[in-house]
Amino acid sequence: MLKVTNLHVSIDGKSILNGINLEVKPGEVHAIMGPNGSGKSTLTNVIAGRDGYEVTQGSIEYLGKDLLELAAEERACEGIFLAFQYPVEIPGVSNMAMLKAAMNSMRKYRGQEEIKAGDFLKLIRQKADLVEMKHEFLKRAVNQGFSGGEKKRNEILQMAMLEPKLALLDETDSGLDIDALKTVSHGVNALRSPERSMVLVTHYQRLLDYIVPDYVHVLANGKII
Amino acid sequence: MITANENISWVTAHADAAHSGANIAWLNRQRKSALAQFEAVGLPGVRDEDWRYTNLRALKSNDYTLSAVSSLNIELADTTNPRLVFVDGHLDVAASTGLSDSVTSLKDSLEIVEGHFSSTLPKKPHGFTALNTAYAHDGYVVHLKSGQRLEGVLEVVFVSQSADAVSHTRNLIIADANTQCTIVERHIGAHGTVYLNNVITEIVAGDNAHIDHYKIQQESNDAFHMGGVFINQAKGSQVKSHNIALSGLVTRNDIYSNLLGQGAHVEMNGLVIGHGRQHIDNHTEVNHAVPNCTSDEYYKTVLDDHSRSVFRGRIIVAKDAQLTNADQRNNNLLLSKNAEADCKPQLEIYADDVKCSHGATVGQLDPVSLFYLKSRGIDAESATALLTFAFANEVIERIKVDSVRQELTQILAGELLSGLEELV
Repeated sequence: MLKVTNLHVSIDGKSILNGINLEVKPGEVHAIMGPNGSGKSTLTNVIAGRDGYEVTQGSIEYLGKDLLELAAEERACEGIFLAFQYPVEIPGVSNMAMLKAAMNSMRKYRGQEEIKAGDFLKLIRQKADLVEMKHEFLKRAVNQGFSGGEKKRNEILQMAMLEPKLALLDETDSGLDIDALKTVSHGVNALRSPERSMVLVTHYQRLLDYIVPDYVHVLANGKII
Repeated sequence: MITANENISWVTAHADAAHSGANIAWLNRQRKSALAQFEAVGLPGVRDEDWRYTNLRALKSNDYTLSAVSSLNIELADTTNPRLVFVDGHLDVAASTGLSDSVTSLKDSLEIVEGHFSSTLPKKPHGFTALNTAYAHDGYVVHLKSGQRLEGVLEVVFVSQSADAVSHTRNLIIADANTQCTIVERHIGAHGTVYLNNVITEIVAGDNAHIDHYKIQQESNDAFHMGGVFINQAKGSQVKSHNIALSGLVTRNDIYSNLLGQGAHVEMNGLVIGHGRQHIDNHTEVNHAVPNCTSDEYYKTVLDDHSRSVFRGRIIVAKDAQLTNADQRNNNLLLSKNAEADCKPQLEIYADDVKCSHGATVGQLDPVSLFYLKSRGIDAESATALLTFAFANEVIERIKVDSVRQELTQILAGELLSGLEELV
């Protein structure tokens, strides 16, 4: 599904990743561990298509396509989802509005009809229950005034709604107390399937007690060791 | 007669025009004195510090005649609110509802407004304000007697439909102690029509009066809008001014409040959406004259294409005005390389035990927020639209009256969320 080959990435001329090789097959869960500053977040951001990163060498192949040729939104429409380490607050846009825009944008990309309002409501309520999010949060502005745990839950809710093929979870456990960690992990585990792959980035072992990966990699100094 | 003066020659045609109430001594005195003021200062130019970013060449290059009475030639959307309709500055009684002892036209209320007319104006009015005093021919007057509440929302629509007309409109809200009202002023005109709408609203807020004033400017794309909202506030009064500018070619608003009694509070919210070659200039001033007053000002601007905006926000805290709490924020979003926002916060603080804060930003959309939306599959154009809407809607969310807030949210969605309106 995902094949990262000899990936070198720099930011503002400073080399961050120095030859990453990673292959993820459908249904696999890979954990990438490593200290702060080792380049873990850079790797997920580059896969998701964030601006500001320069790929100086190497390639990323996803479902047989050259991923680096696609814009961030195209990657998302192709089934890549990034759960942010620091989810962004978007005042003035409700959770529901954003998810509806996202779903319909993806459907349009895939040549599908827009989702019916009733179906959307039913789906989002069901997924909110999965991550134990109160329904009133759906009407609130995206992440605005949410606690750290609520923001992370919201990321998993979005993932559950958008049903990615490849989910990248960037430090999803950071800032969570044990109960929130259990809820979030439960949500993630419920989304595991033979077709869906995941890459978890973390620097704590404890997440891996709840989401048991198939492979664990250690990243240090921009290389998987 | 106005003496020959190149700067003001376009207005001389008005001099002989008949005015309502011309035989009322106090009004005549004011008019004479305003004309003298106008002769002294003329129309503003870019050499005036308060006008240096606002070029009036286009306005001055056109000739205007004082607007005549004409009947409404457009259809207004239905409303359940009482609504006054002014056509080219003249009240259209047939099209209006809600006239009462408390809600009248200026022409019919000269006795009521005596002593209040011009009482809120700045000491050194600029040329448009002076002209307004000299030529004001009509307007709405809301007069609330002690303890009186105007239920619901009063709408006042100013329709400008005659080409090359100028209307000088003067509105007054005179609210005695413990009164309450919500007034929505709309200014509309057909695109393509050139006219000058010179409109001033004076608000005299008595002790503990609560006044919500909305000004929604949707003039013709070729029109000039020179506006003033001048407020005097007695003790414990709460006035909220909302100033929403969506179109017009050149718009200038002076929004001033004098906090004259302790415990008074003013909130000034502003939103500018600029397209094309629109120019929108907002000058606000809060004058903390006495102790223990609060002011909260929040102005936001979204500029696209070649549009320009000016924000001048002055806060004056007098020597005796201890325990003042004043906050001012002005955030400008530029969507185009050719757009320009000039902002100038001015704090003049003469007291020593006060809390005053201000912040101004000019910038583009946050790239991280854009990436966040794109990473959810939302295309770049829609992501930009959503974030722009969200930026602007923060001002609308401060509106407490549900019906007005919802309507403005819809208007904003129509302006900024093309194709995504159903999301809000």
